[in-house]
Amino acid sequence: MDLALDDDQQAIAQAAADFLAEACAAPAMRAAADSADGMDRALWQGIVEQGWCAVAAPEAEGGLGLGEVGLALLAEQLGRHLAGVPFFESAIEAAALLRACGNPEPALLAGVASGAVLVLAAHATHADASTTPAGDWRLDGTWPQVPGAAWADNFLLLIEGESPRLFWVPAPELAVEPLAMIDTTRRSASVHAHAVHVPATALLAEGAALRTALVHARGLAAIALAAEQVGVAQQCLDLTLAYAAQRMQFGRPIASFQAVKHRCAQMLVAIESARSAVYGAAAVADAAPEATTLSFHAAEAWCAACDAVRYAAQEAIQLHGGVGYTWEVDVQRYFKRAQANRVRGGDPSTWRERVAAQLLDAAP
Amino acid sequence: MNLTETPEERTFRAEVQAWMAAHLTGEFAALRGCHGPGEERFDAALAKRWEQELATAGWVGIGWPQAAGGAGLPLGKQIIFHEEYVRAGGPGRLGHIGEQLFAPTLIDFGTPAQQARFLPGIRAGREYWAQGYSEPNAGSDLANVRTRARLDVERGEWVIDGQKVWTSWAQEADWIFVLARTEEGSQRHHGLSLLLVPLHQPGVTVRPIRQMTGGAEFNEVFFDGARTEGSLHLGPVGEGWKVAMALLGYERGVSTLGQQAQFRHELDLVIAAARANGAAQDPVLRQRIADAALRLATLRFHALRVLGAGGASHAAYTAKYAWSNWRRDLGQLAADVLGRAGDVVRADDAARTRLQQVWLSSRADTIYAGTNEIQLNLIAERALGMPREERKGP
Repeated sequence: MDLALDDDQQAIAQAAADFLAEACAAPAMRAAADSADGMDRALWQGIVEQGWCAVAAPEAEGGLGLGEVGLALLAEQLGRHLAGVPFFESAIEAAALLRACGNPEPALLAGVASGAVLVLAAHATHADASTTPAGDWRLDGTWPQVPGAAWADNFLLLIEGESPRLFWVPAPELAVEPLAMIDTTRRSASVHAHAVHVPATALLAEGAALRTALVHARGLAAIALAAEQVGVAQQCLDLTLAYAAQRMQFGRPIASFQAVKHRCAQMLVAIESARSAVYGAAAVADAAPEATTLSFHAAEAWCAACDAVRYAAQEAIQLHGGVGYTWEVDVQRYFKRAQANRVRGGDPSTWRERVAAQLLDAAP
Repeated sequence: MNLTETPEERTFRAEVQAWMAAHLTGEFAALRGCHGPGEERFDAALAKRWEQELATAGWVGIGWPQAAGGAGLPLGKQIIFHEEYVRAGGPGRLGHIGEQLFAPTLIDFGTPAQQARFLPGIRAGREYWAQGYSEPNAGSDLANVRTRARLDVERGEWVIDGQKVWTSWAQEADWIFVLARTEEGSQRHHGLSLLLVPLHQPGVTVRPIRQMTGGAEFNEVFFDGARTEGSLHLGPVGEGWKVAMALLGYERGVSTLGQQAQFRHELDLVIAAARANGAAQDPVLRQRIADAALRLATLRFHALRVLGAGGASHAAYTAKYAWSNWRRDLGQLAADVLGRAGDVVRADDAARTRLQQVWLSSRADTIYAGTNEIQLNLIAERALGMPREERKGP
């Protein structure tokens, strides 16, 4: 039993850090964030070529076989750089859901591995699926805020209800309208289906099986998004340390004041705890856990990471002083991404309540 | 990275479980769940017999190298032993300081003669050790040690004068390792030596200190012309600081995983109390209980990560701050879950008594072995490379 990274894991983390330091340095990140659609296509091309989109897939399927731990290590590095790419949407969230559904349409997963962007549209305001006399499906609905939607090649449309259904639909069949975002590093769009006809094979999963798959995929996605939050938090700390070392007040660097040192130290405590939670949860996820075990450890990673990044982003702005409040300094971008991620993964209190129910309501 | 136990580890876990079930019975059943000295129901003589029971079965020194008389077990098995020991209700280990702090230091720094003399007594559960570091004016600023020792050349003995404080379990110990100033006029961490001193002698007075828990786990130890043999310095004379610091490194080692099994037991008591008295229906307390459970799981992952990486990492520096503050929060949660009943002493209600003790004793966690404030300085300076605090002379 141990949770230190093995050689392969260290190698992929280091390779990712090196690659992104070059390909997604701060000017490139800012350029993408301030661009029309927010996506860094050259970076995405590079990421696909590195094989990251297949990092979790078994080696037998042409992947790297690094599992959830591999995804977490990459997501952490992408978070550090606020990379404007749909890695989380496609290679993590959508891929996890497809796998949890038993990979009913192998071409879709293969497409994800080679860089076709697959995006899950959930939380519809209204959505409906009905069969037609010709035996295909007619889809109608509005998904008002779908992260990564403007970058999608294909969608997984989730139609909730008593018996939920999951369809896959090529992006051109849908109306996608980009939204103006506070966090410009990861854009959302609204997605509309008006009398879209898809064949019977487009129905990937439904009912109880889909519910189970959704819970499973939610856990995996939370662990990976938690890893991203750890990366965001780490960069907040690193930016703050660099600034505090060179910013002079009262004739000394502000890094020498205990009030500043202790807050940086507390940032590290929160970040290292969250990193341990994420690595541990990812290792649990790779060991075919029971549903309650996965759900517990996903909550663990998610809550720890959200707590860490909230504190780190808050203190990063505070310890930068006035310039921390300006547009020029990157900490504001990290602050916004942290909050966008937080609401995306679900408020930690919701996750804690799930755990409370496990601990306090089940028969002892 | 591997969280799955090997078949061999699973077998070993079952072996520890079975041994504990078979042996923590009869007269030893009274020790079940005891923390240690200072607790009213703690029977020190019985606890020493229990240490000998463990020793006979080979459970003392499991992490020591075989050449030193230990079992040389790999880390995974040590973790399993500590977890199952606590899970079975094994009492606080009277031999802890000797076995887990002093012995590893002795193995690294001691002479062959010192090792031959002291390791067997620890290994057999016959000799108990205390740690003589802190003094009234040397707490967080440990280098301000004033206890002094001079060599009586004629008799070939060290003569020690001074005072140590917060000395855990000294009332039950036979020996103490004392950080003392052996070079007259030396300053700070220079001129210190780590001396091994018998406690049972006329020059030593041990006086228990009553704590806010009501018990007296720790003591003041007065040295008034106390003596020890001239050869009983651990590491070179004048280089005691280095040895003393190395010893503190072992304190953050593998035994923290056993400690977490104890935390898990305490959390389970909080959960049981909340379910019994309705606190489990309070939405805010539910959040706090879930939070405590999640963070405890993280403490375990963190320890596994630090130990797996060999200890030297950023993560190693944050561990103590994280677990001590977790437990302080758990103590407050326990008190809040108990509610009004938490203020009433009921000797016949073991679970309540234990939770009251968790509440109070957890206040020490963020102070001993480096206060929160010292921990944050260490993290900032050593892990993050921020400027060091200015230090003035004595």
